[in-house]
This record gives sequence, structure tokens and C-alpha cells, in this order.
Amino acid sequence: MALRREPASGNSLDSPVKQIQIEGLVVMKIIKHYQEEGQGSEVVQGVLLGLVVEDRLEITNCFPFPQHTEDDADFDEVQYQMEMMRSLRHVNIDHLHVGWYQSTFYGSFVSRALLDSQFSYQHAIEESVVLIYDPIKTAQGSLSLKAYRLTPKLMEICKEKDFSTEGLKKASVGYENMFEEVPIVIRNSHLINVLLWELEDKSTVADKHELLSLSSSSHLEKCLQMLMDRVDEMSQDIVKYNNYSRSLSKQQQQKHQYVQRRQQENAQRQSRGEPPLPEEDLTKLFKPPQAPPRMDSLLIAGQINTYSQTVKEFTSQNLGKLFMAEALQGQGS
Amino acid sequence: MSRFFATGSDSESEESSSAEEITPKATGTAFNKQNLLLSDDEEDTKRVVRSAKDKRFEELTNLIKTIRNAMKIRDMAKCLEEFEQLCRAFLKSKAIVDKEGVPPFYIRLLADLEDYLNQLWEDKEGKKKMNKNNAKALSTLRQKIRKYNRDFETEIANYKENPEQSAEEEEEKEEAESGSYSESEDEGEGVTAKSFMKKKPAAEPAPEASKFLKGAADDESESDDDDDDEIWGSDSTDSGSESEDNEGNAASLALAFLKKAQDGDRQGDRKKEERKRRSKRKERAEEEAEEEGLEQEGGEWEKVKGGVPLVKEKPKMFAKGTEINIPVVVKKLNEILQARGKKGTDRAAQIELFHALAAISEENNLGQGILVKIKFNIIASLYDYNPNLATFMKPEMWKKCLDCIDELLDILFENSNIFIGENIAEDSESLAVSDQPFRVRGCILTLVERMDEEFTKIMQNTDPHSQEYVDNLKDEGRVCNIIDRLLQYLENKGSTEEVCRVYLRRIMHTYYKFDYKTHRRCMGIQGESKSEQDQEESEGEDSAIIMDRLCKFIYAKDRTDRIRTCAILCHIYHHALHSRWYQARDLMLMSHLQDNIQHADPPVQILYNRTMVQLGICAFRQGMIKDAHNALLDIQSSGRAKELLGQGLLMRNMQERNAEQEKIEKRRQVPFHMHINLELLECVYLVSAMLLEIPYMAAHEFDARRRMISKQFHHQLRVGERQPLLGPPESMREHVVAASKAMKMGDWRTCHSFIINEKMNSKVWDLFPEAQRVREMLVRKIQEESLRTYLFTYSSVYDSISMETLAEMFQLELPTVHSIISKMIINEELMASLDQPTQTVVMHRTEPTSLQNMALQLAEKLGGLVENNERVFDLKQGVYGSYFNRDQKGGYQQKQGYQRDSDQRGGYQQRQGYQRDSDQRGGYQQRQGYQRDSDQRGGYQQRQGYQRDQKGGYQQKQGYQRGGYRSQNQSSY
Repeated sequence: MALRREPASGNSLDSPVKQIQIEGLVVMKIIKHYQEEGQGSEVVQGVLLGLVVEDRLEITNCFPFPQHTEDDADFDEVQYQMEMMRSLRHVNIDHLHVGWYQSTFYGSFVSRALLDSQFSYQHAIEESVVLIYDPIKTAQGSLSLKAYRLTPKLMEICKEKDFSTEGLKKASVGYENMFEEVPIVIRNSHLINVLLWELEDKSTVADKHELLSLSSSSHLEKCLQMLMDRVDEMSQDIVKYNNYSRSLSKQQQQKHQYVQRRQQENAQRQSRGEPPLPEEDLTKLFKPPQAPPRMDSLLIAGQINTYSQTVKEFTSQNLGKLFMAEALQGQGS
Repeated sequence: MSRFFATGSDSESEESSSAEEITPKATGTAFNKQNLLLSDDEEDTKRVVRSAKDKRFEELTNLIKTIRNAMKIRDMAKCLEEFEQLCRAFLKSKAIVDKEGVPPFYIRLLADLEDYLNQLWEDKEGKKKMNKNNAKALSTLRQKIRKYNRDFETEIANYKENPEQSAEEEEEKEEAESGSYSESEDEGEGVTAKSFMKKKPAAEPAPEASKFLKGAADDESESDDDDDDEIWGSDSTDSGSESEDNEGNAASLALAFLKKAQDGDRQGDRKKEERKRRSKRKERAEEEAEEEGLEQEGGEWEKVKGGVPLVKEKPKMFAKGTEINIPVVVKKLNEILQARGKKGTDRAAQIELFHALAAISEENNLGQGILVKIKFNIIASLYDYNPNLATFMKPEMWKKCLDCIDELLDILFENSNIFIGENIAEDSESLAVSDQPFRVRGCILTLVERMDEEFTKIMQNTDPHSQEYVDNLKDEGRVCNIIDRLLQYLENKGSTEEVCRVYLRRIMHTYYKFDYKTHRRCMGIQGESKSEQDQEESEGEDSAIIMDRLCKFIYAKDRTDRIRTCAILCHIYHHALHSRWYQARDLMLMSHLQDNIQHADPPVQILYNRTMVQLGICAFRQGMIKDAHNALLDIQSSGRAKELLGQGLLMRNMQERNAEQEKIEKRRQVPFHMHINLELLECVYLVSAMLLEIPYMAAHEFDARRRMISKQFHHQLRVGERQPLLGPPESMREHVVAASKAMKMGDWRTCHSFIINEKMNSKVWDLFPEAQRVREMLVRKIQEESLRTYLFTYSSVYDSISMETLAEMFQLELPTVHSIISKMIINEELMASLDQPTQTVVMHRTEPTSLQNMALQLAEKLGGLVENNERVFDLKQGVYGSYFNRDQKGGYQQKQGYQRDSDQRGGYQQRQGYQRDSDQRGGYQQRQGYQRDSDQRGGYQQRQGYQRDQKGGYQQKQGYQRGGYRSQNQSSY
């Protein structure tokens, strides 16, 4: 179970949610949802239901969004959600909307779409989280479920829609403090725990241990491939930014020259006793070039970071496994 | 439309009152005279000569007639069309109008038309009833006429002020018209009848009819002939348009005669008519005089009597008893010639006249000189027959033309004492039979060239899949023959330039033909008896030898660049066609045509494209795949091969070009029998691309910077991949794609079966003259390239592999395998070594795995990223540097320190600080530490400011700002 510690606990001091407690049911439902509907790089999404107890968010239920098809373009998602929640309320299940979940493909989830929808969630319901479920890691033997929230700083920026360099600088938002991860605890009722113990006792030893699989290259290749794509994007972004700053500085220079010329001329005129030239609006004369939005590069950087983390994690695990295998072999031979 | 109408308005325009008398004047008088000149031979066509003014005005009046009629039947579309024509015609007659003033009838029409349109416009009901076309035309026309009338405002105002005068005229007109109208109304629906009549003249090329229509017209205008029946009526309406139509009417005598026979039932009428006419002739003469008087008074109309009504006189060309000698004939000839190119000239008749003249001169033994001269003119007028450059000659004309040229050449060959030349002046000609040689003006070469062009045009305009095309193509032999004869003639008599030109013609007819005779001879029928060979040889020169001789002459003697360029291209083409690859290539390279061909005119460029394609195909046949690919790349990659080779227009471009361009492009098309098979071309290209690209792809599978050799080939592959269901290949392309896929796996047998099979044989390979040899070459290439691909793709799986196995797998001999592998090793394409004693290839296994490859790629990309980032960094500094140059306090120092830092030249301390910082991306604390580190010289104050800045205070002290910026930048670094 992926229980994670908050890396920089200071950041989420003012956040209303410090811990997330998930019912086993929710986990099972999410996994089942992906198993049934998601394949390949397709992403499944759904709604989380639950309630806040003190600074702990308890997620007690969830339901999936239906898969979109081209035919029913007039399908109303909001309507569906309301309907669903009403029905759940009728059967006395928690019906408070506390966030949403999404599956991911090799850990690629840091995107504009996620940011936007999480922002709107968090804007409307303050305690909302997004659960990211990684089916591939899960298939390798370790359940991967992470809860994320936008940091208050990023919330502010999103609210103001100011993605310029200055805006980001002012808010001092970097890729590392865009999202905050909230620790997750999975909780089952005692009855279920008992059942699990019993099942474990009864079940024979599993003949397959995905956890111990030594194959690594295909997974790594995929990861690298995606990482590379992101790096390419980043490069492009930087080049774009580079061009922008170059043109900006050029314009600054022109502006400067212009002002100086003006001053000189005015001085001359003054010495000749003529009235100075009228002031002109410099901003009109020199329109500053359109600044490229920095949010995308921030997101890409965040994504690259996640990829690197995944690769790092994976390789360290694999190394461990390899050592283990070597030791075993040595024993065997 | 009809003579009546025309004349009607004619008369209106003249202010004279005797409209009816004047009406027939223009035509009638001419007719009279002709009749007098003409013997009783009525079958002859008639020619009317009028002054320019007459002609123009008549054109106008005719158009006006049509408009008025259209107005009557409310046919707006027609009205609009005619009005536009009228405007154009008016513009054309500008010169005359300038002299004479705007003709009143024109103004009248404008005024009337505008009134009429306005009236129609007001009539909402009627408008609704109109069909869409008409309604649209109405609005357009209304706008047009409004705009147009602005130029004639005063005149129209005058007219409107003074309608009585015109009313008077109107009456006259009515009178004039009434005759014809009553007739047409007699026939029933006046409207339809009229339109019917309009069509009629075009349909019936009856000069004879028109002629006596004119007679009829006369009669009617004299209005003493009331009993004319419908036939006359309708005929007479024809006559008006007849006079302008007759240039288009191929009115041969025979036709006219036939017509007469058909009209047998009219004979009676006609006879009567004739009698009347004869009796009237005298009257007419008087009238004429009268008219002339009137004209002088009116001063508006002027009749030209001097014009040559030649055609009429032709049959009896010379008065009886005249001594026919050369000057007389020449005079006659010139007389005929003067009519040439004039609008009303009947070109068919003119040709007849020339023939007659030729016959006469022959009869009278006037010598060859005059005959040659006449022949020249006959051919010229045959060419003239089609006024439009775009249209082609009719087959019978074409045949006649060929015959004529043949005869002309006969004469020239028989009489070596005839000199012809373009630069012989008209007056220095000597045509008389004397000791001196004949000198005749004219250029046979030009005639033949024109003939050749006509031939091309005929071929272009014939459906290439019809029997007709084959029939036309049979004439090619004659054309070649004529060119050959001309060539012989000019070799003796012509100047070098002329010889060059005729050589080029000859080359143009030779270069694209495959010389099967020589081919067969070369293919080793040498075993056959020598006599047979001799016989074959005596049949004709090798086309290669001919080409060589002609081209070399041109290279040496030609002074115009174009002929030489064409000759070179044709020569290369011919070489390539006959698989003389090295000669062709050397010639191409030596000529440096590739450098400057884009400056040539389109036909030469087309020839160049054809040559390049042929060169590529030749290289392919020789097994030089790379050369083939390179030669074909330009043509194929554009996807417009069809257009570039002049073998058809692309549909896609239809919108982009207008009709004019399209016509020009059509004229550039290469006739079908010279086409290069496009499918063959594409197949050759794709197969060569496959043979190059597949091994290359296999070799550079992980190369990030791999480029495509052939875009088009990749496109085909992608198209193949996109197919949801892969059936057995059908088209040539599918075959190649399927073969490529097989080759990718190193499966040469499947590849082979896809490239060479029944379907592909019939589609492509059998088109080569040496099909078998090409196929063998192809199989060989496929084996070799498959071997290479196999080694590239699967070398990582092997530790070692025996060459024997490889040789067996790919059905190649051991030495070949050995050489291929050695080459690959030398080129460092294959990391392996050869083990001689065991004949094995031992792999070094140094190729990185795919994961390693990927990591390498990533590292490369990251390097690029860092580089880019640093550039942003530098720029920032530059900006701030220039900004800060003014206060060079601590801030500047700081920056300098920083710069040093990033350049790695700085002091140890600073660098350390920087490095530490970049290592630890974390929080604020460390950064502050860095700040302290690098900021050693900056005072406490500054640091303080920086901290404040961090908290969000945005003070305008630059030093702080930089601090803020720097921390930002650091963190993202």
C-alpha cells in the first residue's frame, strides 16, 4: 500500500485536508472500473464521494463516469452526476462530492486538463482531491494510488488566470509546488479484515508473483519514450521563450534609443527656442510582443519530474530484485 | 438578324427619307456588278466588299436587331448577351465612330433599351413570372446599361427631346419591317420563326441561296414583289447574317450545286426571279447612281467600289482572248492574295482559285517558277484556313496540304535551277522561263515546320484510343518522308541555319522511337546469314548513327541555343532509350543542362523532364538503382509527373488556372504516341526506392536523426499500413508495398514473388525491350538487398553465422555474400568480423540495445535542452547587464560574479555556492544560503532587500529584482 509521507509538510499547513482515508470498496471499484473500461492509454474517470472529519477526508464511495462515445453528444454529465448522487442518497450512502479519480498511463497525468478540472473542483468544493490510479504499476504487483491537491498558491494563480512569467514569479510557484500529495490510508471494516485474514489462511500460495518479475526493459523503454517526448516539448517551449525574450530585449533597446533621440532633439529645440516635441505614447509605438504562457512549461516540468520519479523508483526496485535474484542463483548453483 | 432589319435600322440612321431605296445598296450594288462580271455561272459564291464603316455599322445594326427581337420576346438573357456583344462591337468601331460621330441608331437603342428595362423593372408582376435566368439577366443588364448610358447622356437626352424625328424613322422602319414581319407572322408564331431563322444560316451553308436571297431582298425592298412566299421570306432573313457568316461557311461549289438540286421546286420561282432581275438590272443601275448622289448629300455613307470582288471572277479568271503570260498570272495572283486575311474572304474559295490558277499556268506552260510560287501560296492559304491557332486542320485539308508539299518538293527536286528564299524580294523574283535560274520568294522550311506543327496538333486533338488516331498516326510516315526529302534538298541548297532547323525536325521525329531493327540485330541474330544482315543494313541507317550525325552537326553549327539544347536532350533520350547509359549520362553531365534548364521555355523543360525520366529508367535497366532513383526523384516527388511530362493536365489545378492558361497548356501536351508510361515510371521509382530505403531503414532503426530517402515511398508504406484489411495486392503500388514488407523481414522469396509475377509482368516489366534481363537484374538486387536487411535487422540475435548458410538462404554465390558482408564491415554498418577458416561472420555485439539507444537519445535531447536553457539564461543576463550598466555598484559586481560563475571561471567560493544551489533544488533556506555565498561583497542591506523581495514586496531597486529573478531561475535550472 502506498502510504506516503508529505515531503514538505510546511506547505500544506493551511490546507483543510491532511489525510485521506479510503474505504477498500472505493479502491476495488476504481480498479474494477479500469479493468472493465480502460485499455491501453485510455483514461477512466469517476466521482469520489465521502465526507470530511476534522482534517481527515474520508472517501467512502465512488462511481464512474460513463465512457464517452461519439453518438450521444448531447449526454449531460452534470445531469448524470446529480442523478447518480440522488439515487445514492436514496439508499443512504454518502453522497457528498469530495473529488474525482482518474487512471493514468505510465504516470502521465500532469496535464492542463487535470489542472483545470481539479481547479474547478477545488474552487467549488474546497476539500476536493484527485486520486490517481496507476494500473500498470498495480499490475506489477504494488497498488499505486495517490491523492493530489492543488497548492493554495497555484489556486490563486489559476483564479487570476495570470500565467505570465511575472505572475508565476510573484507567486513563486515552481513545478515542485504545484501539487501537494496527501497521504492515504486504506481502511477496511473489521469484518472485512477478518474475512481477509481467513481468505489468506485458506488460499494456496500464489504461483505468480508479479512483484518479483525481473523484466524491465519494455517498461523502461516506454517510460523513456514518454520522457523524451516531454523533453522535446520542453525544448520547444524554451526556444519559444528564448525568442520572446530576445525580441523583448531588442524592443527595449529600440525604445531606449528612441527616448534618447527624443531627448536630444528636445534639447536642441530648446536651445533654439522652439517648443519641445509633444510626448508620444511609447507603449503604442512599441507594442510588447506576446509573452508565451508559462503554465505549459511548468506542467511539462512537473510531468518530467513525475516520470523521473517513476523511473527512479522502478530502477531502484529492479536493482534490488536483481541482487536478490543473483543471490538466489548463487545459492542454487 | 435579317437583312431587312439590318437595313431597316441602317436607313434610320441615315437621316434620309428614302430608306427603302437605300437598303439594298450595300449588297445589291455589289451583287449587280458581280453579276455582270460573272458569266451566267450562278453557282459561284459571291463576295461582297464594303467599306470598313459599312461593315462595322452593319454589325452594329445586326446586333441591335437581335436585341430588339429579344426585347420583344422578353428574353433578357439573350438581350444581355447581345448587349455585351454590341458594346464590344461598338468599341471596335471606335475609330469610325470618332470620325463619324455616334450613330443615331445606336443612341436610339440605348435609350429604348433603358426605357424598356425600367419598364420591365417596374412591372413587379411580370418580373415574378420571369424565370430565374431572365430575372438575373435583367438586373445585370439594367445596371450595365445605366452605367454605359452615362457616357452618352447628352446624346440620349437629345434623342429624347427630339423623338418626332425618330418617330418618323420609326415609321419607316416599321414599314420596312412590316414586310418581313408579315411574312414571319404568316408562318405562325412570329417569335419562334424568327429564332428559327436565326439558327438557320449557320446550319445551311448555301452561298447560292444567299446570293439569290440578296436578289430577293432587292426585290422586296423595291416592294414590287409582294407575292414572295415563305421560303423567300425565311431565306431573305438569312441573307443578313449570311454576309458575315460566309467566312465560316465552307461553301464549295459542289455544295451549292447540290443545294440547288434540292431546291428543285424553287426553280420555277427562281427563274421568274431571274427574269425579273435581269429586267431590273438597268433600273438598278440608275438607282445606284441616284443613291450615290444621295450618299454624297448625306455624306455619311461611302461606298467602296474598288475592293476586289475576286472570288466571283475566278472561274473565268481571264477574259477570253487575253494572252496568258507570266505578268498577267502574277497580277492575278497578287489580286487573290490581297483578299487574304480579310474578314469577308472565303478561304475555301481562295484555295480553289489558287488551284485553278495553277492549272491555268500549267496549261499555258508558264514554267516552273510561277508554279512554285502558286504552290507556295496554296499551302500558305491552306494553313490560313483555320483562323484560330488552337484548332487543328481538318483531315481533308491536311491530306491536301501533304500532297501539295510533296508536289512542291517534286518540282524543286526536278528543277535544280529554282532558287527559293525568304529574303528574295518580291520585285527581284524572276519567274520567266529563261536561261537564268528561277528566283522565287518563299520558304519551304517554314512551310514544312508549320506542317509538322499541324501534325502534332492533329495528334493532340484526336482521341488516342480511337481508330482515327491510328489512321492519323499513319501519316507520320509521310511527314517523316517529307522532312527527309526536305533535308536532302536543304543539305544541297540551304544555309547552315536552315539545315540545323530541319535536322532538329528530323531528330524530333526520331528520338523517341525505339529502333527495333538494330535491337534485334544486336540481340544476336548474328548467326543468320550474312546476306540477310546486309539487306537489313541497306534498308536504312541505324537510328543511332543518324542521331549522332545530325546532333553533332547541330552541336557544331548551331548558333541558337534552343536548337542545340533540344538536340542534346533528344540525343540523351535516344541514348537512354537504347540503354546506352554511360553515353547518355556523360552527355547529360557535360551539357550542364541541369544547372540552367529552369530558364528554358516550358516545351524545352518538358523535353528535359522526359529525358531525365528516360535516363532514370535506363539506369534502372542497367541495375544502377541509385542513379535511377536520383534521376526520377525530382519528377516523382512532386506528384505531378503527368503534368511535368506534358502528358495530361491535373484536375486539381483546374480552379487555379483560367481558360487561357489551360489552352496554352493543352497546346504543350505531348502527343499520345510519344508518352512515357507513367505506371512504369512510378513502378521503377518505387522499386528503386524500396531497394535503397529498406536496408537503410533497417540499418538506422534507432537513429534519431535518420532521414527519409524517398518521401513518396514512405507515403506509400503509410497508406499500406493504414489499410484495415490487407488483401492480396492488386495494384502496382500495393505489390511494391507488400514486397517492401517482405523485404523488411529479409524474406527475399516473398519479395521476389510480389515484384515479379504475372500481374506485374503485364503491367510493367514486359514494357521493357529486354524484359528478361531486367527481371534477372531485379531478382539479383532483391537477393542482395534482402541479405543486407537481414543482417542489419537480426545481427543482434546472432553470435555468429556461417556464410554458407547465408548464401543458401539468399540463393547467392558464396563470393557474393562474402563481398557484401565485407563491404558492410568496411563501411562500419555491421559490427562483425569474418572468420576465414570456418567461413563465418562473427558478430561483435557492440550494438547498443534498444534501451541503451533510447537512453542515448534521451541524453542527447537533454543536452539540447540544457543548451537552450542556458541561452535563455545568457539573454537574461544580457538584458539586465545593459540595464544595469548605469549603476555599477554592488549590483553590477554581483552580476559579474554570477557570470563568472556560470562560465565556470569564477572564484572557487562563488562557484561552490552556485553548484550547491543547483544541486539542491529545495526550499528557501538553501537559496538564501546561496545568496549569502555568492553575494559576499554585497552588504547586509542588499540581502535584506532580497528577503523582502521574496516575501512579495516588489521594490524597484534593481538589485533586489535581480535577486528575485535569480532565485527563480535557479530553481528551474
